[in-house]
Amino acid sequence: MIIVLVAVAVFALFYIVIYNGLVGKKNQVENAFASIDTMLKKRYDLIPNLVATVKQYATHEKETLTEITELRAKAISGSLSSDEQVQVDNQISKAMGGIMVAVESYPELKANENFVQLQRTLNETEEQISAARRAFNAAVTDFNNAIEMFPSSIVAGMMNYARRQLFEIPKTERENIDVGKLFDN
Amino acid sequence: MTEQNASTATFEQKISPLLEQFEVQRKKCLKKWFTCMFIIGGLGALFCINISQRSAQPVQPIFIVVVVSGLLGVGILYLITNSYKKGYKNEVVRAVIQAYKPGLNYHPESYVSEGKFQSSKLFLKGIDRYKGEDHISGICGKTDFEFSELHAQYKTTSSDSKGRTSTRWHTIFKGIFFIADFHKDFRTHTVVLPDTAEKLFGFLGKKLQGMNLTRGELIKLEDPEFEREFCVYGDDQIEARYILSPGLMRRILSYRSKFGAKMHLAFLKSRVYIALSTDKNHFEPKVFTPVNDLSQVQVFRNDLDMIIDIIEDLNLNTRLWSKE
Repeated sequence: MIIVLVAVAVFALFYIVIYNGLVGKKNQVENAFASIDTMLKKRYDLIPNLVATVKQYATHEKETLTEITELRAKAISGSLSSDEQVQVDNQISKAMGGIMVAVESYPELKANENFVQLQRTLNETEEQISAARRAFNAAVTDFNNAIEMFPSSIVAGMMNYARRQLFEIPKTERENIDVGKLFDN
Repeated sequence: MTEQNASTATFEQKISPLLEQFEVQRKKCLKKWFTCMFIIGGLGALFCINISQRSAQPVQPIFIVVVVSGLLGVGILYLITNSYKKGYKNEVVRAVIQAYKPGLNYHPESYVSEGKFQSSKLFLKGIDRYKGEDHISGICGKTDFEFSELHAQYKTTSSDSKGRTSTRWHTIFKGIFFIADFHKDFRTHTVVLPDTAEKLFGFLGKKLQGMNLTRGELIKLEDPEFEREFCVYGDDQIEARYILSPGLMRRILSYRSKFGAKMHLAFLKSRVYIALSTDKNHFEPKVFTPVNDLSQVQVFRNDLDMIIDIIEDLNLNTRLWSKE
Protein backbone atom coordinates (compact mmCIF):
# COMPACT_ATOMS: atom_id res chain seq x y z
CA MET A 1 0.00 0.00 0.00
CA ILE A 2 2.74 2.44 1.04
CA ILE A 3 4.73 1.59 -2.06
CA VAL A 4 1.74 2.39 -4.25
CA LEU A 5 1.22 5.70 -2.44
CA VAL A 6 4.90 6.65 -2.81
CA ALA A 7 4.81 5.74 -6.49
CA VAL A 8 1.70 7.84 -7.03
CA ALA A 9 3.26 10.77 -5.15
CA VAL A 10 6.48 10.56 -7.18
CA PHE A 11 4.49 10.31 -10.38
CA ALA A 12 2.34 13.32 -9.41
CA LEU A 13 5.45 15.30 -8.55
CA PHE A 14 7.02 14.53 -11.92
CA TYR A 15 3.79 15.45 -13.64
CA ILE A 16 3.59 18.80 -11.85
CA VAL A 17 7.20 19.69 -12.60
CA ILE A 18 6.88 18.83 -16.28
CA TYR A 19 3.47 20.49 -16.56
CA ASN A 20 4.75 23.74 -15.05
CA GLY A 21 7.86 23.63 -17.19
CA LEU A 22 5.76 23.33 -20.33
CA VAL A 23 3.45 26.16 -19.30
CA GLY A 24 6.51 28.31 -18.59
CA LYS A 25 7.93 27.56 -22.03
CA LYS A 26 4.62 28.27 -23.75
CA ASN A 27 4.40 31.64 -21.98
CA GLN A 28 7.95 32.42 -22.94
CA VAL A 29 7.01 31.90 -26.59
CA GLU A 30 4.03 34.22 -26.22
CA ASN A 31 6.11 36.78 -24.39
CA ALA A 32 8.76 36.69 -27.11
CA PHE A 33 6.07 37.09 -29.77
CA ALA A 34 4.71 40.14 -27.97
CA SER A 35 8.20 41.67 -27.89
CA ILE A 36 8.43 41.41 -31.67
CA ASP A 37 5.20 43.40 -31.80
CA THR A 38 6.64 46.06 -29.52
CA MET A 39 9.70 46.42 -31.72
CA LEU A 40 7.58 46.53 -34.87
CA LYS A 41 5.45 49.28 -33.35
CA LYS A 42 8.60 51.28 -32.78
CA ARG A 43 9.23 51.03 -36.50
CA TYR A 44 5.65 52.04 -37.37
CA ASP A 45 6.17 55.16 -35.26
CA LEU A 46 9.23 56.11 -37.26
CA ILE A 47 7.59 55.76 -40.66
CA PRO A 48 5.58 59.06 -40.75
CA ASN A 49 8.75 60.92 -39.79
CA LEU A 50 10.75 59.19 -42.49
CA VAL A 51 8.10 59.82 -45.11
CA ALA A 52 7.89 63.50 -44.19
CA THR A 53 11.64 63.98 -44.36
CA VAL A 54 12.18 62.07 -47.58
CA LYS A 55 9.23 63.82 -49.28
CA GLN A 56 10.94 67.19 -49.04
CA TYR A 57 13.90 66.14 -51.14
CA ALA A 58 13.06 62.99 -53.06
CA THR A 59 10.38 64.17 -55.41
CA HIS A 60 10.50 61.09 -57.62
CA GLU A 61 9.84 58.59 -54.86
CA LYS A 62 6.22 59.51 -54.29
CA GLU A 63 4.97 56.05 -55.22
CA THR A 64 7.15 54.21 -52.76
CA LEU A 65 6.30 56.68 -50.03
CA THR A 66 2.56 56.29 -50.60
CA GLU A 67 3.02 52.53 -50.58
CA ILE A 68 4.80 52.65 -47.24
CA THR A 69 2.18 54.93 -45.74
CA GLU A 70 -0.58 52.58 -46.89
CA LEU A 71 1.24 49.52 -45.59
CA ARG A 72 1.73 51.18 -42.25
CA ALA A 73 -1.96 52.08 -42.03
CA LYS A 74 -2.78 48.46 -42.79
CA ALA A 75 -0.34 47.16 -40.22
CA ILE A 76 -1.61 49.29 -37.35
CA SER A 77 -5.30 48.81 -38.20
CA GLY A 78 -5.35 45.68 -36.07
CA SER A 79 -7.64 43.81 -38.41
CA LEU A 80 -4.98 41.48 -39.80
CA SER A 81 -4.44 37.85 -38.97
CA SER A 82 -0.97 37.05 -37.71
CA ASP A 83 0.06 35.57 -41.08
CA GLU A 84 -1.10 38.68 -42.90
CA GLN A 85 0.66 40.83 -40.32
CA VAL A 86 3.94 39.07 -41.02
CA GLN A 87 3.43 39.54 -44.72
CA VAL A 88 2.72 43.27 -44.37
CA ASP A 89 5.77 43.70 -42.15
CA ASN A 90 7.93 42.01 -44.74
CA GLN A 91 6.52 44.31 -47.40
CA ILE A 92 7.32 47.30 -45.21
CA SER A 93 10.89 46.07 -44.80
CA LYS A 94 11.21 45.71 -48.54
CA ALA A 95 9.78 49.15 -49.30
CA MET A 96 12.00 50.77 -46.67
CA GLY A 97 15.01 49.04 -48.22
CA GLY A 98 13.90 50.50 -51.55
CA ILE A 99 13.81 54.00 -50.10
CA MET A 100 17.25 53.65 -48.59
CA VAL A 101 18.60 52.68 -52.00
CA ALA A 102 16.74 55.51 -53.74
CA VAL A 103 18.16 58.01 -51.23
CA GLU A 104 21.55 57.53 -52.90
CA SER A 105 20.53 59.83 -55.73
CA TYR A 106 19.61 62.70 -53.38
CA PRO A 107 22.82 64.03 -51.84
CA GLU A 108 20.99 66.83 -50.06
CA LEU A 109 18.75 64.36 -48.29
CA LYS A 110 21.74 62.21 -47.36
CA ALA A 111 23.35 65.24 -45.77
CA ASN A 112 20.23 66.20 -43.84
CA GLU A 113 20.95 65.80 -40.15
CA ASN A 114 17.41 64.86 -39.34
CA PHE A 115 17.49 62.13 -41.96
CA VAL A 116 20.82 60.75 -40.79
CA GLN A 117 19.46 60.55 -37.26
CA LEU A 118 16.32 58.82 -38.53
CA GLN A 119 18.41 56.38 -40.50
CA ARG A 120 20.42 55.53 -37.41
CA THR A 121 17.29 55.01 -35.35
CA LEU A 122 15.84 52.85 -38.11
CA ASN A 123 18.97 50.72 -38.25
CA GLU A 124 18.71 50.28 -34.52
CA THR A 125 15.05 49.33 -34.71
CA GLU A 126 15.71 46.85 -37.52
CA GLU A 127 18.43 45.26 -35.43
CA GLN A 128 16.11 45.12 -32.42
CA ILE A 129 13.35 43.54 -34.51
CA SER A 130 15.80 40.94 -35.71
CA ALA A 131 16.96 40.34 -32.12
CA ALA A 132 13.36 39.93 -30.97
CA ARG A 133 12.71 37.45 -33.77
CA ARG A 134 15.80 35.48 -32.88
CA ALA A 135 14.67 35.45 -29.24
CA PHE A 136 11.26 34.22 -30.39
CA ASN A 137 12.86 31.45 -32.45
CA ALA A 138 15.00 30.40 -29.48
CA ALA A 139 11.89 30.25 -27.27
CA VAL A 140 9.99 28.24 -29.91
CA THR A 141 12.87 25.80 -30.33
CA ASP A 142 12.95 25.33 -26.57
CA PHE A 143 9.19 24.73 -26.55
CA ASN A 144 9.26 22.36 -29.53
CA ASN A 145 12.11 20.37 -28.01
CA ALA A 146 10.16 20.04 -24.78
CA ILE A 147 6.97 18.79 -26.41
CA GLU A 148 8.80 16.28 -28.59
CA MET A 149 11.28 14.88 -26.09
CA PHE A 150 10.49 12.08 -23.70
CA PRO A 151 9.03 12.23 -21.04
CA SER A 152 7.63 15.75 -21.39
CA SER A 153 6.15 14.71 -24.77
CA ILE A 154 3.56 12.57 -22.94
CA VAL A 155 2.43 15.45 -20.72
CA ALA A 156 2.41 17.80 -23.71
CA GLY A 157 0.18 15.31 -25.52
CA MET A 158 -2.26 15.36 -22.63
CA MET A 159 -2.21 19.17 -22.66
CA ASN A 160 -2.84 19.24 -26.42
CA TYR A 161 0.27 21.30 -27.04
CA ALA A 162 1.36 21.33 -30.65
CA ARG A 163 4.58 22.34 -32.36
CA ARG A 164 4.95 26.04 -33.08
CA GLN A 165 6.29 27.47 -36.29
CA LEU A 166 9.64 29.22 -36.29
CA PHE A 167 9.75 32.76 -37.56
CA GLU A 168 11.30 32.67 -40.97
CA ILE A 169 13.45 35.72 -41.28
CA PRO A 170 12.87 37.08 -44.78
CA LYS A 171 15.87 37.66 -46.99
CA THR A 172 15.41 41.42 -46.99
CA GLU A 173 15.58 41.38 -43.20
CA ARG A 174 18.73 39.33 -43.13
CA GLU A 175 20.39 41.88 -45.34
CA ASN A 176 19.34 44.83 -43.26
CA ILE A 177 22.95 45.70 -42.52
CA ASP A 178 23.39 46.58 -46.19
CA VAL A 179 20.99 49.43 -45.69
CA GLY A 180 23.41 50.91 -43.23
CA LYS A 181 26.38 50.48 -45.52
CA LEU A 182 24.70 52.77 -48.00
CA PHE A 183 25.47 55.88 -46.09
CA ASP A 184 29.02 56.91 -45.67
CA ASN A 185 30.02 56.91 -42.11
CA MET B 1 59.71 55.14 -50.38
CA THR B 2 56.19 55.14 -49.06
CA GLU B 3 55.08 57.38 -46.25
CA GLN B 4 54.92 54.51 -43.81
CA ASN B 5 58.43 53.33 -44.65
CA ALA B 6 59.68 56.86 -44.17
CA SER B 7 58.08 57.15 -40.76
CA THR B 8 59.45 53.73 -39.77
CA ALA B 9 62.92 54.89 -40.82
CA THR B 10 62.75 58.08 -38.77
CA PHE B 11 61.37 56.10 -35.86
CA GLU B 12 64.30 53.69 -36.06
CA GLN B 13 66.73 56.58 -36.17
CA LYS B 14 65.08 58.11 -33.14
CA ILE B 15 64.84 54.97 -31.08
CA SER B 16 68.27 53.51 -31.89
CA PRO B 17 70.35 55.78 -29.63
CA LEU B 18 67.89 55.11 -26.81
CA LEU B 19 68.22 51.37 -27.34
CA GLU B 20 72.02 51.63 -27.35
CA GLN B 21 71.86 53.51 -24.08
CA PHE B 22 69.73 50.82 -22.48
CA GLU B 23 71.94 48.09 -23.90
CA VAL B 24 74.86 49.65 -22.01
CA GLN B 25 72.76 49.76 -18.85
CA ARG B 26 71.64 46.18 -19.33
CA LYS B 27 75.26 45.00 -19.64
CA LYS B 28 76.19 46.93 -16.51
CA CYS B 29 73.34 45.29 -14.61
CA LEU B 30 74.34 41.86 -15.80
CA LYS B 31 77.98 42.48 -14.89
CA LYS B 32 76.96 43.48 -11.39
CA TRP B 33 74.77 40.43 -11.12
CA PHE B 34 77.47 38.06 -12.37
CA THR B 35 79.88 39.52 -9.81
CA CYS B 36 77.35 38.97 -7.04
CA MET B 37 76.68 35.46 -8.26
CA PHE B 38 80.39 34.74 -8.40
CA ILE B 39 80.76 35.79 -4.76
CA ILE B 40 77.67 33.89 -3.67
CA GLY B 41 78.77 30.85 -5.66
CA GLY B 42 82.24 31.04 -4.18
CA LEU B 43 80.98 31.36 -0.62
CA GLY B 44 78.49 28.58 -1.23
CA ALA B 45 81.18 26.29 -2.61
CA LEU B 46 83.46 27.00 0.34
CA PHE B 47 80.58 26.27 2.68
CA CYS B 48 79.77 23.01 0.91
CA ILE B 49 83.38 21.85 0.99
CA ASN B 50 83.54 22.68 4.67
CA ILE B 51 80.35 20.74 5.39
CA SER B 52 81.34 17.69 3.38
CA GLN B 53 84.58 17.50 5.34
CA ARG B 54 82.89 17.81 8.71
CA SER B 55 79.58 16.04 8.35
CA ALA B 56 78.91 12.41 7.54
CA GLN B 57 75.68 13.23 5.75
CA PRO B 58 76.39 16.35 3.72
CA VAL B 59 73.67 15.94 1.07
CA GLN B 60 70.90 17.76 2.90
CA PRO B 61 72.89 20.86 3.96
CA ILE B 62 74.45 21.11 0.50
CA PHE B 63 71.01 20.97 -1.05
CA ILE B 64 69.87 23.80 1.24
CA VAL B 65 72.90 25.89 0.32
CA VAL B 66 72.20 25.42 -3.39
CA VAL B 67 68.55 26.40 -3.00
CA VAL B 68 69.35 29.43 -0.84
CA SER B 69 71.98 30.71 -3.26
CA GLY B 70 69.55 30.17 -6.14
CA LEU B 71 66.88 32.23 -4.38
CA LEU B 72 69.44 34.89 -3.49
CA GLY B 73 70.46 35.02 -7.14
CA VAL B 74 66.89 35.60 -8.31
CA GLY B 75 66.30 38.23 -5.61
CA ILE B 76 69.48 40.11 -6.42
CA LEU B 77 68.71 39.98 -10.14
CA TYR B 78 65.34 41.56 -9.39
CA LEU B 79 66.90 44.31 -7.24
CA ILE B 80 69.64 45.10 -9.74
CA THR B 81 67.44 45.13 -12.84
CA ASN B 82 64.42 46.81 -11.30
CA SER B 83 65.41 50.36 -12.07
CA TYR B 84 66.70 49.34 -15.49
CA LYS B 85 63.31 47.79 -16.28
CA LYS B 86 61.40 50.80 -14.99
CA GLY B 87 63.53 53.15 -17.04
CA TYR B 88 63.21 50.98 -20.11
CA LYS B 89 59.43 50.84 -19.85
CA ASN B 90 59.11 54.56 -19.26
CA GLU B 91 61.36 55.51 -22.13
CA VAL B 92 61.57 52.76 -24.73
CA VAL B 93 58.15 51.12 -24.41
CA ARG B 94 56.42 54.48 -24.14
CA ALA B 95 58.30 55.79 -27.18
CA VAL B 96 57.42 52.68 -29.19
CA ILE B 97 53.75 52.85 -28.27
CA GLN B 98 53.45 56.55 -28.93
CA ALA B 99 55.33 56.42 -32.21
CA TYR B 100 53.32 53.47 -33.42
CA LYS B 101 49.90 54.59 -32.18
CA PRO B 102 50.08 58.33 -31.52
CA GLY B 103 47.75 59.62 -28.86
CA LEU B 104 47.84 56.60 -26.59
CA ASN B 105 48.69 57.00 -22.92
CA TYR B 106 51.01 54.52 -21.30
CA HIS B 107 51.48 54.14 -17.56
CA PRO B 108 53.71 51.16 -16.77
CA GLU B 109 52.81 50.95 -13.09
CA SER B 110 49.11 51.66 -13.36
CA TYR B 111 46.32 49.19 -14.14
CA VAL B 112 42.58 48.80 -14.68
CA SER B 113 40.84 49.49 -11.37
CA GLU B 114 39.48 46.68 -9.26
CA GLY B 115 36.06 48.33 -9.31
CA LYS B 116 35.86 48.11 -13.08
CA PHE B 117 37.14 44.55 -13.05
CA GLN B 118 34.49 43.52 -10.56
CA SER B 119 31.66 45.46 -12.18
CA SER B 120 32.06 43.29 -15.29
CA LYS B 121 31.00 40.32 -13.13
CA LEU B 122 33.06 38.02 -15.31
CA PHE B 123 34.71 36.41 -12.31
CA LEU B 124 32.48 36.05 -9.29
CA LYS B 125 35.07 34.72 -6.86
CA GLY B 126 36.04 37.17 -4.10
CA ILE B 127 39.44 38.76 -4.69
CA ASP B 128 42.18 38.72 -2.02
CA ARG B 129 45.06 40.07 -4.06
CA TYR B 130 44.82 42.33 -7.08
CA LYS B 131 47.85 43.43 -9.08
CA GLY B 132 48.52 44.78 -12.50
CA GLU B 133 50.76 46.84 -14.74
CA ASP B 134 51.14 48.35 -18.20
CA HIS B 135 48.02 50.46 -18.42
CA ILE B 136 47.35 51.75 -21.92
CA SER B 137 44.41 53.98 -22.81
CA GLY B 138 43.30 56.18 -25.65
CA ILE B 139 40.98 56.49 -28.59
CA CYS B 140 41.14 54.39 -31.73
CA GLY B 141 38.86 55.72 -34.46
CA LYS B 142 35.62 56.46 -32.64
CA THR B 143 36.19 54.04 -29.81
CA ASP B 144 37.78 54.93 -26.50
CA PHE B 145 39.41 52.08 -24.67
CA GLU B 146 41.77 51.08 -21.90
CA PHE B 147 43.56 47.92 -20.98
CA SER B 148 46.26 46.56 -18.73
CA GLU B 149 47.74 43.37 -17.46
CA LEU B 150 45.96 42.08 -14.40
CA HIS B 151 46.44 39.31 -11.91
CA ALA B 152 43.58 38.64 -9.50
CA GLN B 153 43.96 35.94 -6.88
CA TYR B 154 42.20 34.45 -3.90
CA LYS B 155 43.78 32.61 -1.02
CA THR B 156 43.00 29.48 0.88
CA THR B 157 44.43 28.69 4.28
CA SER B 158 44.67 25.22 5.61
CA SER B 159 46.12 23.92 8.85
CA ASP B 160 47.76 20.57 9.31
CA SER B 161 47.58 18.24 12.30
CA LYS B 162 50.34 20.15 14.09
CA GLY B 163 48.32 23.36 13.92
CA ARG B 164 50.59 25.01 11.37
CA THR B 165 48.60 27.07 8.91
CA SER B 166 49.67 27.47 5.33
CA THR B 167 48.33 29.95 2.81
CA ARG B 168 48.00 29.14 -0.85
CA TRP B 169 47.25 31.63 -3.61
CA HIS B 170 45.04 30.69 -6.55
CA THR B 171 44.61 32.63 -9.74
CA ILE B 172 41.17 33.96 -10.58
CA PHE B 173 42.31 35.75 -13.69
CA LYS B 174 45.70 36.47 -15.22
CA GLY B 175 46.09 38.24 -18.50
CA ILE B 176 44.97 41.29 -20.38
CA PHE B 177 41.80 43.07 -19.30
CA PHE B 178 40.40 45.28 -22.02
CA ILE B 179 37.52 47.77 -21.77
CA ALA B 180 36.11 49.67 -24.73
CA ASP B 181 33.13 51.70 -25.74
CA PHE B 182 30.56 49.54 -27.54
CA HIS B 183 28.83 50.81 -30.68
CA LYS B 184 25.29 50.11 -29.50
CA ASP B 185 23.38 51.44 -26.53
CA PHE B 186 22.06 48.94 -24.03
CA ARG B 187 21.02 48.86 -20.41
CA THR B 188 21.26 45.27 -19.25
CA HIS B 189 24.19 43.07 -18.37
CA THR B 190 25.31 40.20 -20.60
CA VAL B 191 28.29 37.91 -20.10
CA VAL B 192 29.94 35.57 -22.59
CA LEU B 193 31.97 32.87 -20.87
CA PRO B 194 34.11 30.07 -22.27
CA ASP B 195 32.01 26.95 -22.42
CA THR B 196 33.24 24.08 -20.34
CA ALA B 197 30.11 22.22 -19.25
CA GLU B 198 28.69 21.78 -22.73
CA LYS B 199 32.00 20.58 -24.13
CA LEU B 200 32.32 17.98 -21.40
CA PHE B 201 28.74 16.83 -20.98
CA GLY B 202 26.95 17.89 -24.17
CA PHE B 203 23.18 18.08 -23.81
CA LEU B 204 23.30 17.54 -20.05
CA GLY B 205 25.89 20.29 -19.77
CA LYS B 206 23.45 22.65 -21.39
CA LYS B 207 20.80 21.69 -18.81
CA LEU B 208 23.33 22.33 -16.05
CA GLN B 209 24.17 25.76 -17.49
CA GLY B 210 20.47 26.61 -17.39
CA MET B 211 20.44 25.88 -13.67
CA ASN B 212 23.35 28.20 -12.84
CA LEU B 213 21.91 30.36 -10.08
CA THR B 214 24.83 32.78 -9.81
CA ARG B 215 24.27 34.09 -13.33
CA GLY B 216 21.32 35.61 -15.19
CA GLU B 217 19.19 33.77 -17.71
CA LEU B 218 20.92 31.39 -20.09
CA ILE B 219 20.81 32.82 -23.60
CA LYS B 220 20.79 30.12 -26.26
CA LEU B 221 22.08 31.50 -29.51
CA GLU B 222 21.60 30.12 -32.98
CA ASP B 223 25.23 29.92 -34.07
CA PRO B 224 26.25 26.32 -33.25
CA GLU B 225 29.98 27.03 -33.34
CA PHE B 226 29.58 30.00 -31.01
CA GLU B 227 27.44 27.88 -28.69
CA ARG B 228 30.15 25.23 -28.56
CA GLU B 229 32.83 27.75 -27.66
CA PHE B 230 30.88 30.06 -25.37
CA CYS B 231 28.06 30.12 -22.91
CA VAL B 232 26.02 33.33 -22.63
CA TYR B 233 24.07 34.64 -19.65
CA GLY B 234 22.11 37.86 -19.60
CA ASP B 235 19.39 39.87 -17.90
CA ASP B 236 17.37 40.25 -21.07
CA GLN B 237 16.89 37.72 -23.88
CA ILE B 238 16.27 40.32 -26.56
CA GLU B 239 18.92 42.82 -25.59
CA ALA B 240 21.51 40.06 -25.38
CA ARG B 241 20.67 39.16 -28.98
CA TYR B 242 20.65 42.82 -29.96
CA ILE B 243 24.25 43.00 -28.72
CA LEU B 244 25.33 39.59 -30.00
CA SER B 245 24.22 39.90 -33.59
CA PRO B 246 25.09 36.98 -35.89
CA GLY B 247 27.89 39.13 -37.33
CA LEU B 248 29.43 39.89 -33.93
CA MET B 249 29.33 36.21 -32.96
CA ARG B 250 31.39 35.32 -36.04
CA ARG B 251 33.80 38.15 -35.25
CA ILE B 252 34.25 37.05 -31.66
CA LEU B 253 34.93 33.50 -32.84
CA SER B 254 37.55 34.59 -35.32
CA TYR B 255 39.27 36.83 -32.76
CA ARG B 256 39.26 33.98 -30.28
CA SER B 257 40.99 31.66 -32.72
CA LYS B 258 43.49 34.40 -33.56
CA PHE B 259 44.22 34.99 -29.89
CA GLY B 260 44.20 31.27 -29.20
CA ALA B 261 43.37 31.23 -25.49
CA LYS B 262 40.46 31.64 -23.11
CA MET B 263 38.38 34.74 -23.64
CA HIS B 264 35.61 36.15 -21.43
CA LEU B 265 33.40 39.04 -22.54
CA ALA B 266 30.95 41.20 -20.64
CA PHE B 267 28.61 43.85 -21.97
CA LEU B 268 27.57 46.47 -19.47
CA LYS B 269 26.31 50.05 -19.77
CA SER B 270 27.24 50.36 -23.44
CA ARG B 271 30.77 49.13 -22.84
CA VAL B 272 32.46 45.86 -23.61
CA TYR B 273 34.81 44.22 -21.09
CA ILE B 274 37.12 41.56 -22.45
CA ALA B 275 39.36 39.33 -20.35
CA LEU B 276 42.08 37.63 -22.37
CA SER B 277 43.74 34.92 -20.29
CA THR B 278 47.46 34.66 -20.87
CA ASP B 279 50.58 33.95 -18.86
CA LYS B 280 52.76 36.14 -21.04
CA ASN B 281 54.24 39.23 -19.43
CA HIS B 282 53.68 41.90 -22.07
CA PHE B 283 55.78 45.03 -22.63
CA GLU B 284 58.56 43.61 -20.47
CA PRO B 285 62.22 44.23 -21.33
CA LYS B 286 64.46 41.20 -21.53
CA VAL B 287 67.53 41.02 -19.38
CA PHE B 288 69.48 38.18 -20.91
CA THR B 289 69.19 39.08 -24.59
CA PRO B 290 70.57 42.20 -26.26
CA VAL B 291 68.05 45.01 -26.58
CA ASN B 292 69.84 47.13 -29.16
CA ASP B 293 68.18 45.52 -32.15
CA LEU B 294 64.62 46.16 -33.16
CA SER B 295 63.30 42.65 -32.65
CA GLN B 296 62.04 43.39 -29.16
CA VAL B 297 60.45 46.59 -30.36
CA GLN B 298 58.67 44.49 -32.98
CA VAL B 299 57.39 42.17 -30.25
CA PHE B 300 55.88 45.16 -28.39
CA ARG B 301 54.22 46.30 -31.59
CA ASN B 302 52.78 42.87 -32.30
CA ASP B 303 51.43 42.59 -28.77
CA LEU B 304 49.89 46.03 -29.00
CA ASP B 305 48.38 45.17 -32.38
CA MET B 306 46.96 41.92 -31.07
CA ILE B 307 45.06 43.79 -28.37
CA ILE B 308 44.02 46.92 -30.23
CA ASP B 309 42.89 44.76 -33.17
CA ILE B 310 39.91 43.84 -30.99
CA ILE B 311 38.39 47.21 -31.91
CA GLU B 312 38.61 46.58 -35.63
CA ASP B 313 37.97 42.86 -35.41
CA LEU B 314 34.79 43.34 -33.41
CA ASN B 315 33.83 46.22 -35.69
CA LEU B 316 33.46 48.67 -32.80
CA ASN B 317 34.21 51.68 -34.97
CA THR B 318 31.16 51.12 -37.16
CA ARG B 319 28.55 53.51 -35.86
CA LEU B 320 25.35 52.71 -37.73
CA TRP B 321 23.08 53.00 -34.75
CA SER B 322 21.84 55.98 -32.84
CA LYS B 323 24.89 55.93 -30.59
CA GLU B 324 27.62 58.04 -32.16
